[in-house]
Amino acid sequence: MKFTGLGIQTFIRMASALIILGAIVEMVSLRWVHPLAFVLFAFVAITLLGLGILIYLASLVFAASTAGENPGRNAKAGN
Amino acid sequence: MASTGILVVLIVVTIVLTAVLLVRPSITAGTTGKILAFVALCILPALCIEAGMSTHMQRSEQTQFCVSCHSMETHGQSLYVDDPTYLAAQHFQNHRVSPDMACYACHTDYTIYGPFKDKLQGVKRIYIQYLSTPPATIHISGGYSNLQCLHCHAGARGFEENPVHHAMMDSLKTNQVSCISSGCHDTVHNASEVGHLKMWRPGQ
Repeated sequence: MKFTGLGIQTFIRMASALIILGAIVEMVSLRWVHPLAFVLFAFVAITLLGLGILIYLASLVFAASTAGENPGRNAKAGN
Repeated sequence: MASTGILVVLIVVTIVLTAVLLVRPSITAGTTGKILAFVALCILPALCIEAGMSTHMQRSEQTQFCVSCHSMETHGQSLYVDDPTYLAAQHFQNHRVSPDMACYACHTDYTIYGPFKDKLQGVKRIYIQYLSTPPATIHISGGYSNLQCLHCHAGARGFEENPVHHAMMDSLKTNQVSCISSGCHDTVHNASEVGHLKMWRPGQ
């Protein structure tokens, strides 16, 4: 799968889903004081949140720009 | 705990703003949407990671955290042994260390990366607990350093003026003579014997 073939909205959706999931896992890990809660946060929540951030940042670089998604830029370029 | 409350609010705000982007990603076409996306998908999750790590690091210093592991239960019980020769119990019961951070106070090495190294050790022990076979007797890898005792006791009048300590001060500071295994303060937790000992019950 080519990154550049995906629209920015697809990236935003993927990043949002991962961040919501990571945030929910973090919330669950705060519910109890136990070593497994630390592991849940350190290995699962941070991975999901970090991946979400990376996918969002990747979208700024790799996402394909389409007329419907970026009207301002297209209007300036094409008039 | 106030910091946990703030963190929960931060997480909820992150979930709400991110949910808006999940449902309507098209709003990122406009300038406001782009700013919202940057805040919700970059700034807030980064804050959630930072604040979450800080909260979990603080929690992992609590006595309650350490003794919640099954293999540490008897070590936790040893803090209540009603015997003045039990070193850990004496420190805990007389508040020579904070009771809420009793394990951490004596088992961290007080270096800049000490808490981080403690967490790595902790993760290793969790692996042994859940995915391997825990040993019958738990030992500290590398042994117990006198520096952890001296972090509090060095410079204290009662410690420095004690003739026994005074005579071997150099050996203590260079870890050549161990505080806890050289015949002086040998009874620390003695966790395997806890079931047969008289226990101190606070408030009775």
